[in-house]
Amino acid sequence: MSGPGRSMLEGLQERAKELHCLYRVHAICGRVEAPLDEVFREVVAIIPVGWQHPPDCTVRITVGTSVYGTPGAEPTPWVLSAPIRVQGEVAGQIEVFYRRAHPPADEGPFLREERKLVDTIAELLGQLLLHRQLVSSIRRVDASGRPVPAESGDWWVIVDFLRQIDRPGYVKIARRMLNYLCWNGIEEAQRLLPRFTGSWSGPGGPEEPTDENRPMVRRNLDVLLKVAEEVFEIAPRHLVPAEILASIQKWIKDDRSGFLIEAVENQGTSLTDLAQALSRFHHAALNDHELSRSLQVDLRVALARRFLTDHLQFIGVAKSYIEVSDFQELTRRIICPPGSHGKVGGKSSGLFLAVQIVRKSEEYAETLKEIRIPKTWYVTSDGVLDFIEYNHLEDLYDRKYLEIDQVRREYPHIIQVFKNSQFSPEIVKGLSLALDDFEERPIIVRSSSLLEDRVGAAFSGKYKSLFLANQGPKKERLAALMDAISEVYASIFGPDPIEYRAERGLLDVHEEMGIMIQEVVGSRVGRYFLPTFAGVAFSNNEFRWSARIRREDGLIRLVPGLGTRAVDRVGDDYPVLLAPGQPALRVNVTTDEIARYSPRRIDLINLETGRFETVDVESFLAETGGSLPGVEEIVSLLEEGRVHRPYMVDWERQARDLVVTFNGLVTGTPFVTRIRSLLRLLSEKLGGPVDIEFASDGRDLYLLQCRPQSFSVEAQATPIPPDVPPERVVFTANRFVSNGKVPHATHVVYVDPEGYASMGDPESLRRVGRAVGRLNKTLPKHQFVLMGPGRWGSRGDIKLGVPVTYSDINNASVLIEVARRRGNYVPDLSFGTHFFQDLVEASIRYLPLFPDDPGIVFNEAFFLGSPNALADLAPDFADLSRTVRVIDVPAATGGLVLNVVMNADLDRALAFLAPPPSEAERAAERRRVAAGGTAPSPPEDHSRWRAQMAERIAAEADADRYGVRAIWLVGSSKNGTAGPASDVDLLVHAEDDPAKRACLAAWLEGWSLCLSETNFIRTGVRTEGLLDVHFVSDADVAHGADWAAKVGALTDAARPLALPKKGRAQAAR
Amino acid sequence: MKSPFNPFEMAQAQFDKAADVLGLDAPSRDLLRFPLREYHFSIPVRMDDGTTKVFRGFRVQHNDARGPSKGGIRFHPQETVDTVRALAMWMTWKCSVVDIPLGGGKGGVICDPHNLSQREQEGICRGWIRQIAKNVGPVNDVPAPDVMTSPQHMLWMLDEFETIHGGKYPGFITGKPLGMGGSLGRTEATGYGVVFTLREALKQLGIPIDKTRAAVQGFGNVSQYAVRLYQQLGGKVVCVSSWDQADQTSYTFRKLDGVDPDALLGIADRFGGIDKEKAAKLGYGVLPGSAWIEQDVDILIPAALENQITGETARKIKPSVKVIAEGANGPTTPDADKVLQERGIFVIPDFLANAGGVTCSYFEQVQCNQNYYWELDEVLGKLDTKMTSAFHAVSELAAKRKLYMRDAAYVISVSRVAKACKDRGWV
Repeated sequence: MSGPGRSMLEGLQERAKELHCLYRVHAICGRVEAPLDEVFREVVAIIPVGWQHPPDCTVRITVGTSVYGTPGAEPTPWVLSAPIRVQGEVAGQIEVFYRRAHPPADEGPFLREERKLVDTIAELLGQLLLHRQLVSSIRRVDASGRPVPAESGDWWVIVDFLRQIDRPGYVKIARRMLNYLCWNGIEEAQRLLPRFTGSWSGPGGPEEPTDENRPMVRRNLDVLLKVAEEVFEIAPRHLVPAEILASIQKWIKDDRSGFLIEAVENQGTSLTDLAQALSRFHHAALNDHELSRSLQVDLRVALARRFLTDHLQFIGVAKSYIEVSDFQELTRRIICPPGSHGKVGGKSSGLFLAVQIVRKSEEYAETLKEIRIPKTWYVTSDGVLDFIEYNHLEDLYDRKYLEIDQVRREYPHIIQVFKNSQFSPEIVKGLSLALDDFEERPIIVRSSSLLEDRVGAAFSGKYKSLFLANQGPKKERLAALMDAISEVYASIFGPDPIEYRAERGLLDVHEEMGIMIQEVVGSRVGRYFLPTFAGVAFSNNEFRWSARIRREDGLIRLVPGLGTRAVDRVGDDYPVLLAPGQPALRVNVTTDEIARYSPRRIDLINLETGRFETVDVESFLAETGGSLPGVEEIVSLLEEGRVHRPYMVDWERQARDLVVTFNGLVTGTPFVTRIRSLLRLLSEKLGGPVDIEFASDGRDLYLLQCRPQSFSVEAQATPIPPDVPPERVVFTANRFVSNGKVPHATHVVYVDPEGYASMGDPESLRRVGRAVGRLNKTLPKHQFVLMGPGRWGSRGDIKLGVPVTYSDINNASVLIEVARRRGNYVPDLSFGTHFFQDLVEASIRYLPLFPDDPGIVFNEAFFLGSPNALADLAPDFADLSRTVRVIDVPAATGGLVLNVVMNADLDRALAFLAPPPSEAERAAERRRVAAGGTAPSPPEDHSRWRAQMAERIAAEADADRYGVRAIWLVGSSKNGTAGPASDVDLLVHAEDDPAKRACLAAWLEGWSLCLSETNFIRTGVRTEGLLDVHFVSDADVAHGADWAAKVGALTDAARPLALPKKGRAQAAR
Repeated sequence: MKSPFNPFEMAQAQFDKAADVLGLDAPSRDLLRFPLREYHFSIPVRMDDGTTKVFRGFRVQHNDARGPSKGGIRFHPQETVDTVRALAMWMTWKCSVVDIPLGGGKGGVICDPHNLSQREQEGICRGWIRQIAKNVGPVNDVPAPDVMTSPQHMLWMLDEFETIHGGKYPGFITGKPLGMGGSLGRTEATGYGVVFTLREALKQLGIPIDKTRAAVQGFGNVSQYAVRLYQQLGGKVVCVSSWDQADQTSYTFRKLDGVDPDALLGIADRFGGIDKEKAAKLGYGVLPGSAWIEQDVDILIPAALENQITGETARKIKPSVKVIAEGANGPTTPDADKVLQERGIFVIPDFLANAGGVTCSYFEQVQCNQNYYWELDEVLGKLDTKMTSAFHAVSELAAKRKLYMRDAAYVISVSRVAKACKDRGWV
């Protein structure tokens, strides 16, 4: 190589040498504990490598009277020197010599870059000297521990030193001292206060109209210095030296954290810069405990906002537990696009905070000290935006507004497009680092969306989580990881999350999704990798299978292997349920129940195929032969009708007789105590019930996730109206009542206990179940009450309760089990055991009734005497009319509806007839629900349907016939806040022709009635017409008067709707 | 409103019917319509939370003229003394029909184990024994596990009993695990018992068993052993049905050249739920759950649930069917009985056909009392002898008195008990 190519290469080599040199110097200076002499000697030795001719290069550093030099460092004519300044004063110098002549360059034989290098090193050394001086002066005092009169002058040493080397700092400290004295009510100080106006620099002082005005500042400074001196004369008269000293130390540290405050306060700072600032804070050996309380909180809050969430309640807790150094730890595992302003997302934040709470709380410290968390890396929430931008996928953003069927159809293509897209180089680099950290341990890629985990909108399982075996060459592992992340990203556009968001009114929120890459907890067993057990736990037990279990006893869903089976409902499998407050009360008690309702399958990672798989427990145990760590804690041997601990098991031969019971875990290990303590601690600190995920490798317990246990406004205690006239009471209850309300039910499905008991053959009993299933599909959704004897969904003896599955009852608003006395016993209730989780997820209430209890009202005449609509609604089940009664409440009562209010605090429930609510009441209800931040139950998207209908109306508005010029959608349907009874507000711009107007009005009225009827079928809510049409004239539009003001308004603008072709041309006018 | 169902009244009505056939005298009727003795007692238990709860316990000894009372202990929240009385009476007849020297009893505690920890349940078991230790025992009254009680409960009870009486009395309770005084052959007993009676019935009807084909409902413990023994004897089972937990329905698995119970067991869960995909691969036809009854076979063995052969389903039974052996409890409704009687199908009634279980319990007790335990062959051999002679006694009576088999079984068991009471000079 020759010519320019060669010199370019040389140039690059030089830059590399210089950089290397600078890094080394930086590193040496960062060694806080090393003596200065040693630091300088090392710096001197390292400098020559940065120069063009190292063998010829000698260096000398002079600081005060000390001189440090490379061997044979003597002055020569070829020298490059730079002064070392401390606070502007020259404190020494660096000299770099060449022993002999070299070809001339930019500055003698030296390069321009070498000049920069020597200056930079001098600056670094200056900072080092300043730092050391400060530290030593503070140390002198620190070392004394408590204040001693003999050393009372020490604070003065610091102040004096500050005054000499850092006047702005000196003035600042003086100002804070003055404030401090004033707050302590020192009169002298208060007198001084008016004179201490203005500041060292920056705007604000009344005497400083501009900060450019140097003479003014100078004069001001003199005054300030004088006042400052007076302050420090006053201080010792009122404060003991120790107090002065402590305050000054704190303020100096505050001052030194300035860069960090600046970085976090400035919203423009990218995460990368923030991470650097945090690292500097860390390397400067600063600790946020040493800062003043206000600054400490300020920093923590600001950092929480930048990295975690804007959620105020969350931050309120986070600031007490997450320290600045914790954020620094966090940044070491954050992957973000350049210039990122993302956050780590809900799931990651929740876990991060929970871990800090567990680590830093004194409560339960003994029990919880061994709780661990898996190694976790984070991709920030704007990673997905970066991904979309990098691959030009911006078109996707409006996909979420499509019809759900279309979303469903397109989703597979979106996945393909995502999987064939690239990540930006920064992200690839970050992921590569993460993989180096994880090595070849299986990992899970989880979504950590900003919407996920918000109170009331837990997207539990809505977005994907993918397991990766993470085995083999790094290139393949990286490809697999990127593939998985793109698939998780694609799930933002999946039909389920879109539908869920639409239901919750979250569709218009811009979805950003962080990614959490977590090491999978577990161990390798043969060709598999899996945790010994995993599960979820809840603070509140909404699933009490025994009356002895209290709500606060909590709930654990436990499975062998990966926790996926505990989180998701798996239909044909049964996670083991435990109440941590009452671990001895198990759901399944008899040997048969234990065997039948135990987990049968196990989720795990097959390291050979690299896939997530589901395997039979039986074949897994036979294959792995009990080598899973701690397996004897989770399985029991089923032998001759007994369930006992597996001693001396022949795993292969007896695999069929092993059932997963977790008996050993519950009775022989601190597991339950730990989970109970975790739940208590976290719910206490987070101020509400929580929901956690955990896993264990058979040795340690790992916390995987923590978030608020989802609840909704409807689940809060409802006041019981005191003044319901007796004739309107349908029933009352006073045992095992949970919270909730069922407003305005229009139908009751009542399975008569007597009729049911008198049916002999199982086929008829099953038909009752099928009839209920049919009614469930026919009746208005979430507007009917389902009541029946004993145990709904009974798995065993169907005489004990109507045999239904969850899909047969999923549209009911409340499920009521009636325990009528039979002979001299009262049948046992199931407490909703069979599909409890589904009931909770769908906001279906559960209530047990004991009509024969003293003081209980049960209006049997209402149930048996009202006309039975079964034959009309389900003619082919008409023969069951004696047993299955369907009551159309308004028809039977002359227009009343049924309200059920339930209050767990009072342990009372009341069902009563009342007139349907007026529109004003409905509106108030909606406001209340909206204020609670949750969508109304039923989770239907009323807005989207209304908006679509409005679009159809507009598309059919015949301009010629009706004179329509434009139609806009306004109000709740446009804003996505419509409820089941909301109007559709249309703004119609039409010609001022009375005949056409009348025609138009009639046409719209037709639509209105038709939509109202459709809405009733959809929601069970009756309205008198659904359209609310506001006509605007040409003049209105021209002047933006009246409703027309909404057109093109800056806020809450009306949304134009497309008219038929011809009409559109006019509207565009 | 109609009066609620009372199981004891129903049991009495059944007894009255048999007594009428026998022409039983009034004092005997009076004695047998009611239990000899009833014990009602309270069991205080210290609960896990430190409080004390009192549970109500019962023991009903219906009749012990032929030997110590025998019957289970139930834990049930809806327990009523009338249920216990009815079941105790039923036990008397059940022991009598197979002619074992035991009477009938039943007991229970009103409680729901779902609301109790293991420790609390142990407290109930031990408390139950403390209240009645003087009135039960290997020569008085012998309990066994029943609804919601397991061998574990029995061992707690046995331990408490032996502590009170200061000795080892394994014969006090049956249903114990092997090594703790349990008997071999218990798993096989009921299924084998069904086939022993079936074999005798075919012999009597002059049908060679190796020319017969059978359809079996269920694939649980009873069915599995019945299928095995029947096929060993040369018969051919063309189908079994089983419950599918995932689909919440049952299916019939058919193989016309004979099902292989081992192969099916290999693709079934521990409750006998057969995997329908795997079964199809093995060449089984997967039919609706009710299809078992409509097969072109000689023998039907309902061995799953009660009320399976109804007036309606009985009509689907093919003309080829000659024998029904009731492995399950109460598989045939009274309506269906009429149809079967009309069609002349030979029915081996449930409490004869499935009495292998109680016979094996008796063997367990015998072995315990002599403290010498038999090998499996010996247990099964003795079971064969007992079942065979029990069958012949019933069928002879049926033939002699022109009775339906079900009625004959009932009549013979009542007559044996009534005779014992007379012999003792009670009535």
